Amino acid sequence: MSASTHAPALRLVGLAKTFDHKLAVDHVDLEVPSGSFFGLVGPNGAGKTTSLSMAVGLLRPDTGHAEIFGHDVWSAPERAKALVGVLPDGLAMPERLTGREVLTYLGLLRGLAKDVVARRAEELLAVLELDGAEKTLVIEYSTGMRKKIGLATALLHAPRLLVLDEPFEAVDPVSAATIKTILRGFVAGGGSIVLSSHVMALVEQLCDHVAVVDKGRVAATGTLDEVRGGRSLEDAFVGLVSDQVSGVKELSWLSSP
Amino acid sequence: MAVVALTMARMKLAVLRHAFHGRRAHTAGTGAALGVLSALGTVYLAFVDLDLLAAGYAVWLLGWLLGPLFMGGGDETLRPEYFSLLGLPPRRLAAGLLAAAFVGVAPLVSLGALLGLLVAGLRLGVANALVAVPAMVLQLAVFVLLSKVSVAVVGLALRTRLGAIVSGLLNGAVLAALGQIWIFFWAFGQTGVPAAVWYLPSGWGLLAVRGRWWALAALAVLVLLLLAAWAALLTRRVGAARASARGRRPITAGTATGAVVAKELRTWSRDLVRNHQLTFALSYGLCFAASPLIIGWDGMLPYAGPIFIVMAAAMAANLYGTDGTALWLTLMTPGASDVRGRQLAWLSVHAPVAIVLTVALTALTGGPWPLILALLPALLGGAAGLVPLISAYALVPGTDPHRRAGNPLRTSEDDGGLTGLAYLMLALVILTGAPAALAAVWYGWAGVATGVLTGALCCWGFGLLAERRLRAHGPELLHVMRTGRKPHTTMKSRFDQLSKTQKTIASWCLGFGAIPLVPQGILASVFVANDMLRHSWFLATYMPPGLRYPVAAAFILLGLAMYGAGVWIVKPRSPGSGPSRD
Repeated sequence: MSASTHAPALRLVGLAKTFDHKLAVDHVDLEVPSGSFFGLVGPNGAGKTTSLSMAVGLLRPDTGHAEIFGHDVWSAPERAKALVGVLPDGLAMPERLTGREVLTYLGLLRGLAKDVVARRAEELLAVLELDGAEKTLVIEYSTGMRKKIGLATALLHAPRLLVLDEPFEAVDPVSAATIKTILRGFVAGGGSIVLSSHVMALVEQLCDHVAVVDKGRVAATGTLDEVRGGRSLEDAFVGLVSDQVSGVKELSWLSSP
Repeated sequence: MAVVALTMARMKLAVLRHAFHGRRAHTAGTGAALGVLSALGTVYLAFVDLDLLAAGYAVWLLGWLLGPLFMGGGDETLRPEYFSLLGLPPRRLAAGLLAAAFVGVAPLVSLGALLGLLVAGLRLGVANALVAVPAMVLQLAVFVLLSKVSVAVVGLALRTRLGAIVSGLLNGAVLAALGQIWIFFWAFGQTGVPAAVWYLPSGWGLLAVRGRWWALAALAVLVLLLLAAWAALLTRRVGAARASARGRRPITAGTATGAVVAKELRTWSRDLVRNHQLTFALSYGLCFAASPLIIGWDGMLPYAGPIFIVMAAAMAANLYGTDGTALWLTLMTPGASDVRGRQLAWLSVHAPVAIVLTVALTALTGGPWPLILALLPALLGGAAGLVPLISAYALVPGTDPHRRAGNPLRTSEDDGGLTGLAYLMLALVILTGAPAALAAVWYGWAGVATGVLTGALCCWGFGLLAERRLRAHGPELLHVMRTGRKPHTTMKSRFDQLSKTQKTIASWCLGFGAIPLVPQGILASVFVANDMLRHSWFLATYMPPGLRYPVAAAFILLGLAMYGAGVWIVKPRSPGSGPSRD
């Protein structure tokens, strides 16, 4: 399939979604080159999660379509979804299973062989330091542990694209360093990653491509250097999405003596 | 104290104003209308007979006590957890929550029903009428508080497996006893209203109005005691229901469906709410079928198994909803079948219990083997098919398990929807047993073959429909569970898009398809079969002998064709692919 070898890892064409008469995503076009580490940044409510949900087939767009390595997410879901691993933000898991059981269950659902699943689950649990909680059910996990088991499920079937919604939120610094190492290794091995975050420093540190999303539109996209244009990403970001020139206001009743 | 209470009451009012829109407003409206009717009926009793009024209030008390246990944990608009950072002492928190608990449709309707006290007082004298006013308020407080305390006690019990099982057994027994209350009246030779209803806490208000002034004081003391109990229970309500920490057996499945079965079986055994529901259904079936033994009749005993199946299916009516947004994993693995695995797991949890119960009890009574053995496979298959089907089609958005608050019974914010779904499931599962039961009554053992056939068909066919629904509307279902709101656009908007001619044809087909299908088709052929000829307007019964069945069959076909055409015009086009059109 030549289309999939040269196609971008993720291509969004004119994606739009309206909730209760409010346009949450306003005809987003986006191209994530194959092999790139792509950061999606934007203020709260900009439409990052909605866009990513539509990109991987978890939310049906009003118009537009999404392709993963050239396979349309809606008309060829089996091919597209086999190529992508997803870490959504705040969705439930099979809560009454242990971490290892979740991975076994999902591996089998993905059609992997039993011994492959067992081997990969063992390795993932060890690397993400979840093997200490062998008897703990996912419902009893802390927020950080939930992120880690979510990442493990996204990696399990060795996808070529990872779509991660806020992967570092509530994760402790030690685990964050582990995750960064895993993600860098994944990209070095030819994989592609799309990651959304509020933390500019993190995106600057990890990503080679960036898109800034604001009010449901793509305000800027390109390589990291193109988007920040000689400034820090934070300055570029505030310049792109902030309405007022005056900057940040203080709370008078907190700062007065 | 008063400020906290008033603030909480106003807070609740604000939440309710925002919450009641769309479908939930409809459910609440229907509930309120039924409540007002019951309240009017109760007040009417005050004009007729005070014994009956006391009995009426006993029923209201039971409603408050048991209702929340079966309707998703009762009213939780304001959760104690919201206020945990304020550092309020437990009594003040309980008092504030109590004030808020008075705001709402159910307390208002109950206060309406308690107007019966005022009516009774007015009929007795001025002093009695004056006592009726505080008695109404105190009586309402007793209702509300008893309800809160019972929910809190069961919630606490659901933290341990033993507690979950015991409370399931007790609740099942109590509800079954209420359903079979006539037996107890019969057994005690009781005619009219038992005197005991006067001495239940629900009767104290009426006692006070009738001049037993101590009853008013007793009500006040009870309110204080219940408030203290509730405050104590609130401090123990922390964290969600805990799962058991038994040894974990590794998943040995090797296929996708096997993995779903393994996941579901573990959830059935580890989720204490599911433990509770299972033992509830078992206890209900057993007690309902066994209670006629009190009057020496064992004819109902063999039906314990079938009743258990029906009740267990009703408990699982919102199967997909209770798992919440975990549906995203099913959407991300389109190659695997989730429904078949869930059906297998449901059957392997429930079928052994149902079979053992049925065979043992039928052997004990020597009772009607063909009928019982016909019902068993029909109901098991029907339930295994309907559970995924109903939960996929009429999904009530649940709260994600890891986000549930201290009340483990509360699996959804839409408790009205949950209750409706459970009743719908009861009715539909019973229907799936009907063909086998009728065949067994008419033709004996042929009923068993019918039961096996309809059971297998229901399980296979309804499962297929559920699978298709998940595939075609999975993202919409996930969105409903993420936001807790149902989209308003389904059949209706599609209907609005049709041309005028299409609309007319569709409404004629769907509106009048029943006439050829049911009376002129099915009923007419029943009449022909029973030689009831020249029957009112049933055309087939007027035909010459050779044409009677063909005419009836033609009408059945016409009816089916009309429904088919109507549905074909209205149904959304190719829902599986492409962007939505709504």
